[in-house]
Amino acid sequence: MGYSKKGFVITGIAILLLILFPLVAGTQHTLNLFIVLFITVILAQSWNILGGYAGQISLGNAAFFGAGALSFHFLAWRGGLPLYLALPAGGLTAVILASFIGIPALRLRGVYFAIGTLAFAEALRITVGNLFPLTVYIPTAQIVSYGLLSRYYLALMVAVITQGVAYCMIKSKIGLAMMAIRDDDEAADTSGVHLFKYKFVALVFSSFFSGLAGGIFAYYQDSIVPAFLFTPQWTFEPLVAAAVGGSGTLLGPMIGSVFLIILTELFALTLGKAYLIIFGAIFILVVLFFPGGLIEAAERIRKSIFG
Amino acid sequence: MLEVEQIDVYRGDIQILRSVSLAAKDGKITALLGSNAAGKTTLLMTISGLIKPLRGGIRLKGHQIDKQPVHKIVELGVSMVPEGRRLFPEMSVFENLELGAFTRKARETKDQMIEEVFGIFPILKTRKVQMAGTLSGGEQQMVAIARALMSQPKLLLIDELSLGLAPLIMQHISETIKQINITKGLAIFIVEQNVFMTLEMADYGYILENGRIVGEGEAKKLLQSEEVKNAYLGIEEV
Amino acid sequence: MAQIVVYGVITGAFYGLAAVGLSLVFGVMRHMNIAHGSFLMIGGFAAYWLFHLLKLDPFVSIPLVMVILFAIGAALYKGLFSHLDKLPEGLKINNSMLVGFGLTWVIDNLAIMFWTSDVRAVTPSYTGKVWHVLPGLRLPVVGLVIIGIASLVIFSLYLILTRTYFGKSVRATAQDRDAGNLMGINVERTYLISFALSAALAGIAGVVAAVNYSVYPTVGFEWLLKAIIILVLAGFGKIGKVFAAGLLLGIIEGVSVYFVGATYREVVGLVIFILVLLRRST
Repeated sequence: MGYSKKGFVITGIAILLLILFPLVAGTQHTLNLFIVLFITVILAQSWNILGGYAGQISLGNAAFFGAGALSFHFLAWRGGLPLYLALPAGGLTAVILASFIGIPALRLRGVYFAIGTLAFAEALRITVGNLFPLTVYIPTAQIVSYGLLSRYYLALMVAVITQGVAYCMIKSKIGLAMMAIRDDDEAADTSGVHLFKYKFVALVFSSFFSGLAGGIFAYYQDSIVPAFLFTPQWTFEPLVAAAVGGSGTLLGPMIGSVFLIILTELFALTLGKAYLIIFGAIFILVVLFFPGGLIEAAERIRKSIFG
Repeated sequence: MLEVEQIDVYRGDIQILRSVSLAAKDGKITALLGSNAAGKTTLLMTISGLIKPLRGGIRLKGHQIDKQPVHKIVELGVSMVPEGRRLFPEMSVFENLELGAFTRKARETKDQMIEEVFGIFPILKTRKVQMAGTLSGGEQQMVAIARALMSQPKLLLIDELSLGLAPLIMQHISETIKQINITKGLAIFIVEQNVFMTLEMADYGYILENGRIVGEGEAKKLLQSEEVKNAYLGIEEV
Repeated sequence: MAQIVVYGVITGAFYGLAAVGLSLVFGVMRHMNIAHGSFLMIGGFAAYWLFHLLKLDPFVSIPLVMVILFAIGAALYKGLFSHLDKLPEGLKINNSMLVGFGLTWVIDNLAIMFWTSDVRAVTPSYTGKVWHVLPGLRLPVVGLVIIGIASLVIFSLYLILTRTYFGKSVRATAQDRDAGNLMGINVERTYLISFALSAALAGIAGVVAAVNYSVYPTVGFEWLLKAIIILVLAGFGKIGKVFAAGLLLGIIEGVSVYFVGATYREVVGLVIFILVLLRRST
């Protein structure tokens, strides 16, 4: 949790470093890595607000990601909409789509929302695969003028915005309401907390930013297979990042994403598919035995050293 | 039959029972009295094994049972009529009784036990196939007791018999319980708020207040003691 | 049109079969087993390998597949899910879904690692055989077998749950866990057996899938989707209605595909799902 002044200073320095980094030490490889990291952070925090703070487990964030990516692709590359319009539009599309499943499902118990999002993402994946079976490409004009740097800064900016909005939301009344719902929704209900409203706010945040992440991805990739955008990995990896980092904390998703990306870098080539399995196993162990994730582990270490 | 030795029991971080010791003698009806939040239900749940004590021990006929899982304790001969009856609502009266005889040993004598409990509570025979959730309070209580008897227990625990029952039915049931105790020599440990009726039925009694045993004695003597009269009967006479 | 209904019934029977295990686990333990699809997938691959290596007819291999999956289910429950038992219900459901999700990930990727992503199908000699009943009405032999198996399985499950002591103890535990314990029922073991049984049921569905459709490592999610829709349609924990719900979905899908085309097949199920949710939430 950001401890006011000190937290802001550290955050500011970190952002500054990230801004300067490409100019100083950026190679193509590292820039790509960071872009993927930023996208993961956005997705992880999106999941975290809904699942870690509001207690609504979503198993289908891929739907929001994919919707954002696909609509960005059509609006920007086919429709000619400028970047700064197409990206939010992608986010908005995701929100609208999320409402289809969210409005009925959030009124019911958590199980319905989880399986509802799961079903939603899977149904979209298959349908999109049927509608758009072919790979789609960035228009050639864009390939010619492709700038990795601009992608980097866009992703960084959106990631910072995501964290910022998340921070403001969590520190406000909204965040308190969400956590009350997560911890004991019946008690929250009887205390007058409007359950559906706050769950829905969390859903809007989650789907909007996931949609933005999708748009960034569509902007970044030169070609995509539409159905691929909706595959479970887009739900699962950010989920793992958030949970392993520490769900229900603001820094957890970031730390978890960094952890995930570093491990991927180190092991993807050497272990191939095996590293995915290792992540899955770590995730399961965290859920079962270390629910607070890395953040909690760090807290415990800090306490045992400093008392 | 049953010996509880200085148990400390917590629910979460809160201590409910403090150093509670008592005994239920073979063939006798032992009562535990106390006001609402005294910890009576917690005590019964601890004896039955649903909760484990943090300190202290519980022995059934010399066997230590406080560390055993619930189903093992049932196999050793403890049967409970829980607070609120806890019948299986979507199963028939007959099926509820069958489940009372779930343990291997009990299954062997299932059929004759069913006949026996129908003898004790004739009205249940007419309700045999009815869903347990649709019965009246009194009928449910009878099913709960009958179900607990199906396993031919050595010790019967009863939690709050009188809750939600009309006095007349309550009277009938408590007389039936006294009968069961006499005819079968079954040790019964009953927890209750209704002091008068319970002390009439019981042989020995304990008083639990704020998680501690604050009094004990033969039921007749307790009924006449000044403290009990003032603390409890006074409230009831209003 | 009658032909479409026939195919719909066959598909629906399969859907019911795929969903019954999921329904059992949720009804008994309030646990939404996200890994259910992966169990199905394993069952399908087991049938495939038994067919190709041992020339074992897939339907004959069902009992063996059941045993394999029962063992796997039991091991996974004991090793993983049983740790969640002590948690309060809301947290238990959430965490068991997360673990299930993680498990799907691990299992599916293990399958890709060992068996590659290739699509497999089991094609015994009678695969294409069709029974011409009337002009314009063809009944695929495999389809009839599927309907038979699904009916048999669901009916057997119904009998077990209502006529046997074990089955009654499962139902009792589902209704009131503490009371179940007080009857001398070993609730933890009941949960273990129920979970393992649901895995075995998924295995049966997997064998059927391998013969009538195809299997590949990530197919589990698709079948899970169907099973979930059936579960919500039928109402949680009601095994009897699962078969009916399956048939309903199968027929509705078949009929709407006829009118709308196959691209939107999944949307049909999804729309039904959302409609049912809407009805439940108001």
